[in-house]
Amino acid sequence: MAGLLACGLGSVAIARLELSRLRDAFDTDMRIVHRLLSQRVVQHDAVLATLALLQPPAQADPAEQRLPALYSQILRVQRRDRGAVWADPRQHAAEVISRAVRHATLSHVDFKAGRYELVLAAEPASFALLMDLRAVVPWSEWPMQPKTSRVRVALEQDGQAFALQPGQAGGWGWRFDFAKHLASESQPFNVVASRFVSAGELPWLPMLAWSLAVAGLLAGMRAWQAQRQARQRAEELLRLGQVSRLNALGELAAGMAHELNQPLTAVLANTQAAGRLLADDPPDLATARAAMDQAAQQARRASDVVGRLRRVVEPADAAAPARPVVLQEALRNALYLVEPELAKRQIAPVLHAPTEPLRVLAEPVALEQILHNLLMNALQALEQVPVAERSLALTLSASGDRGRVEVADSGPGIAPEHLSRLFEPFFSTRDKGLGLGLSLCESLALGMGGQLAAGHNTPRGAVLRLSLPKAPS
Amino acid sequence: MTATLSPIVHLVDDDEAVRSSLALLIGTVGLRVQPWADPQAFLAGFDRQAVGVIVLDVRMPGMSGLALLEALVAQGVDQPVVMLTGHGTVEMCRRAFKSGAAEFLEKPVDDEALLEALQNGVRRHVQSRERNQADRLARERYAQLSEREREVLGLIVAGLTNKEIGRSLLLSPRTVEAHRANLFAKLETQSLAQLIRNYAALAEQDGAA
Repeated sequence: MAGLLACGLGSVAIARLELSRLRDAFDTDMRIVHRLLSQRVVQHDAVLATLALLQPPAQADPAEQRLPALYSQILRVQRRDRGAVWADPRQHAAEVISRAVRHATLSHVDFKAGRYELVLAAEPASFALLMDLRAVVPWSEWPMQPKTSRVRVALEQDGQAFALQPGQAGGWGWRFDFAKHLASESQPFNVVASRFVSAGELPWLPMLAWSLAVAGLLAGMRAWQAQRQARQRAEELLRLGQVSRLNALGELAAGMAHELNQPLTAVLANTQAAGRLLADDPPDLATARAAMDQAAQQARRASDVVGRLRRVVEPADAAAPARPVVLQEALRNALYLVEPELAKRQIAPVLHAPTEPLRVLAEPVALEQILHNLLMNALQALEQVPVAERSLALTLSASGDRGRVEVADSGPGIAPEHLSRLFEPFFSTRDKGLGLGLSLCESLALGMGGQLAAGHNTPRGAVLRLSLPKAPS
Repeated sequence: MTATLSPIVHLVDDDEAVRSSLALLIGTVGLRVQPWADPQAFLAGFDRQAVGVIVLDVRMPGMSGLALLEALVAQGVDQPVVMLTGHGTVEMCRRAFKSGAAEFLEKPVDDEALLEALQNGVRRHVQSRERNQADRLARERYAQLSEREREVLGLIVAGLTNKEIGRSLLLSPRTVEAHRANLFAKLETQSLAQLIRNYAALAEQDGAA
């Protein structure tokens, strides 16, 4: 939603910027056009004024007839000497007005033909100039390309219009307008211009680029967020997995207790009953023997239960196919997961690893589980010594066809009498420990063709060594 | 009278091997055993009058031992109940005792512990039955007393002398003496101490009612 808004607002801003730039360009062009045309028509006043002042003598080849050769826009020069009469009555009417307003006056305007005539009353002779509108325009100084420009420019007078350049109109878009009379008393033609900005002229590319940039930024942010959430979730899941594994073990223990207790109850009751029967005088041998048979049968039942449990508990993970895993990465992942635990106990692990990647054959999940368990065990051991004495060394090495991980802590270490039982299921030195962690790790390691061994660290503490077959390079 | 019949142990466990082995063990000390595989069948069919003990496995399909215990107590069954469990939690144990279990034992159970619990249970049950018997007898005798005799008994139990009783009931000490002799005879009591021990509760109950 916010993304759409940002895209929209940004695009509108870009479009408005472009429109205002186009408007400025249009206004500038129109000011130039107005000035150019005004300067031109003022020249015509000046020519007439000069003629009126000089009064070239009327002769066979009067001087004023050379003007059209000098000024391309002047098509014809006419004069009315004193006592003479204009050929065209409009010229006469214009002269009357001209005499009254004391400046040149239009006698007639024919924009269809592109002509107009200007009359200036003077003494003794009055003059008339017939102008070619098209030639009036100083094309060399024109600020636009008349053929291709999108701006329509026209001169208007008395309801007639003369198009100076056609421009391009129509379609959906915006329209700029300009209208201003030429700065001339004698030829106050209205300069009318309009400019259509079609939708196609909008800066679509920058707008698109902006939208893409916004979308990209948003997508990036979202991806970053999603990644962060995914990581948090993964950590949650891991924690949850540990909890549920413990719950499952609790359930298993309860079920196992019942399944085993039933036959054990029968075994105990039968043997004790047999004992009592044999102690009787005389002893009831037949019943005692039957009770012993029952006891044996129930002992076998208990052993079946144990066998069934083992099959259930045996980890399926170890059966997953091993593939090349970079030990450095696996260890880094495992460390990443226990980072908060490390920080909580103020332990900074020291990592010794070869620079080149050490590839081993392993089932990644099982490997991660082993490393996680080893790290957690080390952390729990380190809890029992003061903060200043806590050290955790992690060493990766290769020897022969094996890759090794060593987790060495400076905790209390393993008592010699416990060393041999360390990997036994349900053996734990912790009060609340289930005693399944290391046992599980060993099963997983064996399942992947690896080994897990424990030893004493120097000067003190425990060291756990995991070795796995190297991946063929 | 039921108390004279030999006591019986009702053993409720869904596991055949457990049932038969425990029955054999219990039988070695001369207690009669009636095994039950199904809690519902037991609840519907066992002899409530017989003196004895009930042994329940906590974990049974259909109806748990705890639910069965609660049903028994709700029906006013007076036989002591011994609970057996494979893995007893503190919570389970607490609930069992709160519901009125006499004992709570863990499987596999040692013979000494189980047999002692059963024998204790039987003894307690016999005692409670005898106490109930005496109560019933006292009640019957008390019912034979006349209204006036009950009033006199109430005042005797309250510790008043004949003279005080006479003043309180507006009777002559002589008449009080006659009522007193009658109620001693009807209640088959020889001494004042015996009278107070056996009938004080009844008299107070009656006075309050």
